[in-house]
Amino acid sequence: MIVCVAVVGHQNNPLYIQSFTDADDALKLHHIVHCSLDVVDERVNNPKKSGPTLNETFLGLLYPTENYKVYGYLTNTKVKFILVTTDLDVRDADVRNVIFQEVPCCIC
Amino acid sequence: MGREVSESCIDSLLTEVVSTYCNRFYANKPELAARRIEAIGYQVGHQLSERYTMERPRFSDHLEAIKFICKDFWFELFKKQIDNLKTNHRGTFVLQDNRFCWLTRMSIDQSPENGTSEELSIMADNKAMQSMHLYFPCGIIRGALSNLGIPCAVSADISNLPACSFVIRIKA
Repeated sequence: MIVCVAVVGHQNNPLYIQSFTDADDALKLHHIVHCSLDVVDERVNNPKKSGPTLNETFLGLLYPTENYKVYGYLTNTKVKFILVTTDLDVRDADVRNVIFQEVPCCIC
Repeated sequence: MGREVSESCIDSLLTEVVSTYCNRFYANKPELAARRIEAIGYQVGHQLSERYTMERPRFSDHLEAIKFICKDFWFELFKKQIDNLKTNHRGTFVLQDNRFCWLTRMSIDQSPENGTSEELSIMADNKAMQSMHLYFPCGIIRGALSNLGIPCAVSADISNLPACSFVIRIKA
């Protein structure tokens, strides 16, 4: 189940952030999104030695916390889409194909 | 993204925009009119680049981004690619389009070389008017590149219609 979606601009300014649980958890989800921005920057600046992942827009699983999985997507214009989900057996391919195909289209 | 737009409407709209800004809004201040038109182009380029880079993998360096502008971006806008790209590998790029779509309807001055001074000043006015029409595409290029993280300055040069060249200087 997706608990939080965030769209962050190219200067790490939040453009849209929406959580889908009770109000108590909302702040914690905001913190998780904030931390994941650092992970995104790290992935972009220190690419792994494997070439094909260097320029991909979909960044994959950013980091797993105790209850959540966080996925990231980075466009060419440095707009970041962050998705936090509690579904522990979701696969990367599902997230990439289902969600991150549609969401950037809606922005444009 | 199935919306369509009429090319001749865009052509007429742009001609009218230049004419209105130069003759009505900023009647005796051509620099201000030019800056406003360029700013409009900047907004347009900013948003268009967001739309056209969506599916693609990210660019590894400036040259890749410029090549994107020359090929895909120009193709989406004008149904053709840039004809010639030159660079000095130190941050300056010259994009040459041999038949720029928005200039094809503009008349070419056939005045002789040694006309009277009156004719020469009329020719100079015409040249100034023609270059006004290029501020909008310069703005589009600048907006697109800024959105891709490359601050730059863009200027245009028309020595022989309908070919024109855009000079991009990347700010270090």
